Amino acid sequence: MENSLRIENITKHYGALTAVDHLTLSVPSGIVFGLLGPNGAGKTTTLEIVEGLRHPDGGHVWWGDLDVFRNPDEARSRFGVQLQTSAFFELLTVKETLELFRSFYRRALPVSDLIARLDLGEKQNARVGGLSGGQRQRLALAVALINDPEVVFLDEPSAGLDPQARRNLWEVILGLKAEGRTVVLTTHYMDEAECLSDRLAIVDHGQVLDEGTPKELIQRHMPAAVVEVSRSVGVDATVSLPGVQRMEERDEVTMLISEHLEDTLVGLVNWAQQQHRTITGLTTRNATLEDVFLELTGRSLRE
Amino acid sequence: MNAVVTLTRSLMRQTLRNRQGLFWTLFFPVVLMVVFSFLGNSQSRVNLAVVAPSGRATAVVKAFKQSPLFHVTEMNRSSALQEVQRGHLDAALIVPSAHGHPTTTLTLRYNDANTLSAQQAVGSVEAFVSQADIALSGRPPLFRVAAKALSHSHSSTYLDFLLPGILALMTMQNSLFGIGSGLTRWKEKGVLRRFQATPVKPVQLLSATVINYIVVGLASAAIVVGFATTILHASVLVPLGGTLLVLLLGMAVFLSIGFIVAGLSKSQEATIPIINLISFPMMFLSGVFFPSTSFPRILSDIVQYFPLTYMADALRGLMSGQLTVAAGAFRTDILGLLIWLVVTGTLASRTWRWE
Repeated sequence: MENSLRIENITKHYGALTAVDHLTLSVPSGIVFGLLGPNGAGKTTTLEIVEGLRHPDGGHVWWGDLDVFRNPDEARSRFGVQLQTSAFFELLTVKETLELFRSFYRRALPVSDLIARLDLGEKQNARVGGLSGGQRQRLALAVALINDPEVVFLDEPSAGLDPQARRNLWEVILGLKAEGRTVVLTTHYMDEAECLSDRLAIVDHGQVLDEGTPKELIQRHMPAAVVEVSRSVGVDATVSLPGVQRMEERDEVTMLISEHLEDTLVGLVNWAQQQHRTITGLTTRNATLEDVFLELTGRSLRE
Repeated sequence: MNAVVTLTRSLMRQTLRNRQGLFWTLFFPVVLMVVFSFLGNSQSRVNLAVVAPSGRATAVVKAFKQSPLFHVTEMNRSSALQEVQRGHLDAALIVPSAHGHPTTTLTLRYNDANTLSAQQAVGSVEAFVSQADIALSGRPPLFRVAAKALSHSHSSTYLDFLLPGILALMTMQNSLFGIGSGLTRWKEKGVLRRFQATPVKPVQLLSATVINYIVVGLASAAIVVGFATTILHASVLVPLGGTLLVLLLGMAVFLSIGFIVAGLSKSQEATIPIINLISFPMMFLSGVFFPSTSFPRILSDIVQYFPLTYMADALRGLMSGQLTVAAGAFRTDILGLLIWLVVTGTLASRTWRWE
């Protein structure tokens, strides 16, 4: 790990609103790092500050020994950026767009390589204005990679993609890691965060709530198992069951977060027999990132 | 390759592929010129109704009929007045039935709602009658007016007057709308932000944009002049150096104003009304369609400082052959445009923002 991305104490205010609040993070090189947070948590602003697109009110960002705010041009030539919404010239073709962006860099990858890598071959001579949402996303990713970047920032890269396209995107992202690039991404999707990220930070109100590998985060905040039953069974706050730490009601499901799975299950069955209830929809599972997220932010990810 | 070159090439491709945009850029000037050149031709003759008692004053009617200045229709009094009232004819000339008086009074009825055609009719009839009077009396005239146009080369038509104005107007519209609404759209959609994430400097992107608009502006000006001179037979001079100088200065001023508007407004909905607010008064007051000399003093005192006025005046002077690049009036126009450029250019660089 010769390099690392160090975000030190960055802050950004918009009037009375504090979008980023003394945020500090360290991202080792060569990994995929996920920023997870609800809408308006400050993920995009954080990313744009780190990329050098916005001036923070305070703080520093270092990539190895490169001071990003002092040398924005150098940073821009070594970073690859996919913005949340990036628009290109609608009347240029895919190939022309890539050639245009390629001309901005001293070091760049061949356009044909990127077209092949992102499966844009069929569309290389089509105008950008006529591309589908998924094709646009792939073009945006190709543009982000054109300068053979050391760090790739992806802001909601799979937003609006169908499941197959998301799988393909994941492969591309894992390929970037395999080539030794560092990837920083924001996402709404829990499975994406869990599958792709080596490390994660959970962000809300412009602050890092916690940071670590997905396993560490679950261990730290959700050591327990989760027992789910249908809400119609009628387990509610008045029912006390052994081992249950906390109870959550989500849609049609009652979630029992339990420290002792066996105790809770036995308790549940005994209670149902006494009350002459039928247990439906019973599942037990390990806690997931989604549960950690809910625990930390009090909000569901898709809210 | 240099980013300015590749950006300019990309923007040119965008412009040339935007068929609709190109069409409308050229459509309005061409249509305006065609319409006005027809209007200009039909207005050169006065449409006159002559009301004469039968068998009387045929000599007068004949004289009017023979003159190339008039298109004469004989009719009775009531229908003649009705036609004039409706605006189908310019005036009705009423010849009295009785005479014996040394002077015969010919009554001319005109519609004062239509000032321009009424003035033309009254003036033409008066001049014609007094000429006829002198000719019939056999006395040599005391005075004679030798009317000579200022331009020595040719008699100029309304189209010749209009063409330089149209060029100035086109330049203003293309530059203001191109930059003002084009850049705001880029800002809104995130095109600028995407470039900001590359090592491209703002000044490189802006230079490419300006070069693109200048090339497009000059090419469309050339097409419009070519169309006017070959198809519509406008007879204008195009002194290349002077014309280019005025066009480039004008573009620079209006591009800067476009930058200011794009820098200040956040959305396209806000940009369009602001641009209209700036361009409308100039379109009608700066002497594009008619000379601004007929305005009240206080208005023409203000209008003379508008950038479009400087542009239209300088172009018209050059193209009619009345001004040379060395002429004082031309220098005043150029100086006026330069002052505008310094002011708007400075403001543009202060107000420009990526977001």
